[in-house]
Amino acid sequence: MTALAAAIGVGIALLLCVVRLFAGPSLYDRTLAANGVIIKLAIIVGAAGVITAQAVFVDAALAFVLASVVANVAVLKFFRSRSFQTPLARAEDM
Amino acid sequence: MDVSAVLELVRLGLSGIVVAIGLLLIAGGALGLLRFPDLYTRLHAANVADVVGSVVVVLGLAIAAPDWNIALRLLLLAALLIALGPTLTHLVAQAAHAAGLAPIAGRYAAPRPGATRSSTPQ
Repeated sequence: MTALAAAIGVGIALLLCVVRLFAGPSLYDRTLAANGVIIKLAIIVGAAGVITAQAVFVDAALAFVLASVVANVAVLKFFRSRSFQTPLARAEDM
Repeated sequence: MDVSAVLELVRLGLSGIVVAIGLLLIAGGALGLLRFPDLYTRLHAANVADVVGSVVVVLGLAIAAPDWNIALRLLLLAALLIALGPTLTHLVAQAAHAAGLAPIAGRYAAPRPGATRSSTPQ
């Protein structure tokens, strides 16, 4: 019962995050909103694990959070220099 | 009514209260993410309200969990959220500042010359 209420409330917040994900003016707004969407999805999956009394759902939620962190760090690192191979020297040194 | 039934009732009530507090915080964070005018104010909403709300909701779910197996995994999920949320917020703010995204109010010092654009390319 409690877990169902938590899942519904977090689902409403997830919809608001999806609105910001599609409406965000800059890249970093979208990154932040995508992180929020995945974290709220992980909480919903954890609530599903409590409802069905199966621990596998909570493991999936842990995997969601870790994958979200890795993907966000990769996106931010790529858009800092717009390249996967960052030069070791600064621009004014070359 | 024996003692274990009373303890079960207290456990469910406590989990309900904790989950309600967390949902209130998450609602505030989502509204701030949707309605604030600037990336940095949105980051403030997402960091302060959303991370704490997520952790509180997961703790309430851990209280309501039917099994120690699930409860310990939910505690691990709460630890991950409280460690990784502020880290990601710091990364987003630092990347936006290094890319030259200026806040809409206050003084702004560009991190390096040539990075004073008011907005980044989409």
